[in-house]
Amino acid sequence: MNFPVARLTARMLLGQRRTLLVVLLALLPVGIALLFRLAAPADADPERFTARTLLGGMLTGTILPLVSLVFATGAFGQDIEDGTAVYLLATPVPRRDIVVARVAVAWLAAAALLVPAALTAGAIAIQGGDPGIVAGFAAAIAAGSLVYTIVFTWLSIATSRALVAGLLYAFLWEGALSGLFSGIRFLSIRQYTAGIAGTFFDLPASVYQPRLDPLPALVLAAAVGAVFLLLAVRRLERWETGEAA
Amino acid sequence: MSDSPAPAIELRAVSRWYGNVVAVNDVSFEVGPGITGLLGPNGAGKSTILHMMAGLLRPSAGEVRILGQPAWRNPAIYRSVGLVPEREAVYGFLSGREFVELAARLHRLPDPARAAARAIDLVEMGSAASRPCGGYSKGMKQRIKIAAALVHDPQVLVLDEPFNGADPRQRLHLMDLFRSMAAEGRTILYSSHILEEVERIADTVLVIVAGRLAASGDYRSIRALMTDRPHTFIVRSSNDRALAARLLDEPAIHGLAFEDGRLEVRARELLAAARALPAAARAAGVTLYEVRPTDESLESVFSYLVRR
Repeated sequence: MNFPVARLTARMLLGQRRTLLVVLLALLPVGIALLFRLAAPADADPERFTARTLLGGMLTGTILPLVSLVFATGAFGQDIEDGTAVYLLATPVPRRDIVVARVAVAWLAAAALLVPAALTAGAIAIQGGDPGIVAGFAAAIAAGSLVYTIVFTWLSIATSRALVAGLLYAFLWEGALSGLFSGIRFLSIRQYTAGIAGTFFDLPASVYQPRLDPLPALVLAAAVGAVFLLLAVRRLERWETGEAA
Repeated sequence: MSDSPAPAIELRAVSRWYGNVVAVNDVSFEVGPGITGLLGPNGAGKSTILHMMAGLLRPSAGEVRILGQPAWRNPAIYRSVGLVPEREAVYGFLSGREFVELAARLHRLPDPARAAARAIDLVEMGSAASRPCGGYSKGMKQRIKIAAALVHDPQVLVLDEPFNGADPRQRLHLMDLFRSMAAEGRTILYSSHILEEVERIADTVLVIVAGRLAASGDYRSIRALMTDRPHTFIVRSSNDRALAARLLDEPAIHGLAFEDGRLEVRARELLAAARALPAAARAAGVTLYEVRPTDESLESVFSYLVRR
């Protein structure tokens, strides 16, 4: 890993106002879990709420892609847009190392927020239920944030509208359309994440059932991550100054 | 086979187009050690050429080589090349010293702090090096960018409008710096749209107009080409008709016309006209009020060179 690039990327992310918004967003599930703990109806099922609503729904379905998108585009899109990327690209550092360092920092930043949020929110809401649900989603969110970060990094290099494209992917493709077409689960990082989480627990369908089994979810997540990492490196190697990226 | 070393910068039949727009059209030249000015009006294609030299833009046709190696998709060339882009943006959250040290670390220099300090001294930014770049003036940003480009002591320096925003004293200092680097055998190529700037520093000039190489060579001969061309003046005097009658006898004047009641004088070249006009006015007993060239914009000068 190229540490000067990684340090620079970390400082870029820390200096951005939207990082603060993302931190607040990551705290939201903890607040919801506290509310559930304090004000849930007596017949509420903590396992169902934790798996389906809190970790599988809000955190995996909404906050995970948003946080990953903000960090990935913050790590790459901004300096391509304002021209400062030239100070990295006009150096002997291989473009592959630049992509890897930026993905690593964006992923670590996303995981550092999301994994503790999942563990804390899950621990508050589960109330003696299967701890595998919380551990599973925490591990799956760490893996899912890596795949999202890689895909959104590629988007940041490939287009100047990465934020819009990322939002469309996360909320239109993975959200609205996946409910209509079941095949979309094979092309959905959200479903890979849920499938990986399923490795850690075995719940009845009435409580929570991922749409992908753990093994295909893991294989697809690894394949998509590897392919888009290669695409991102390839795209940056062919990147030209003055592009609309 | 020739044993001569590869030119520092070499363009062979290079073109670059964006869709239907041709930005650079079949340009070939070689640049060796010393200072070479890439001169041309805004939008002529200078930055496109510089970016292709810096490996940041792929030629649509032809080849760009730096020290014998292809520039495109070859990060290894940056060990020998320093680039100062025209865009003002720098990492505003880094101090000047951190910015130059970052460049040193990216070049994997053995002592980045020392290399950065040396480069910062070269551009006289020592006193401001601890301040964030975001608070720098345009001239300071320009100098810290130059320091970052110099930190690895490159053999080839490519600068896009490097004097933008620099005050006259800084400009002179940077010119001295580039001259001393050129004297050490380095190749410095810089773009400018200001004739006088190039005049003061460049040994050799490449003139780019509308994406084509309009002229190249020693600065003085190109300057002469620019001066010894037909010129048109609007003349206002106490008696335009008497002056016109007298000017008919002047060999340097090859055309006269009254356009909208104003006397328009066409001369074969600038200096001959400058001598002929006052002489004719004196001989005709006419007072000259105004002699105004009509086509002195840089674009018209460059267009003339292209037509030649």
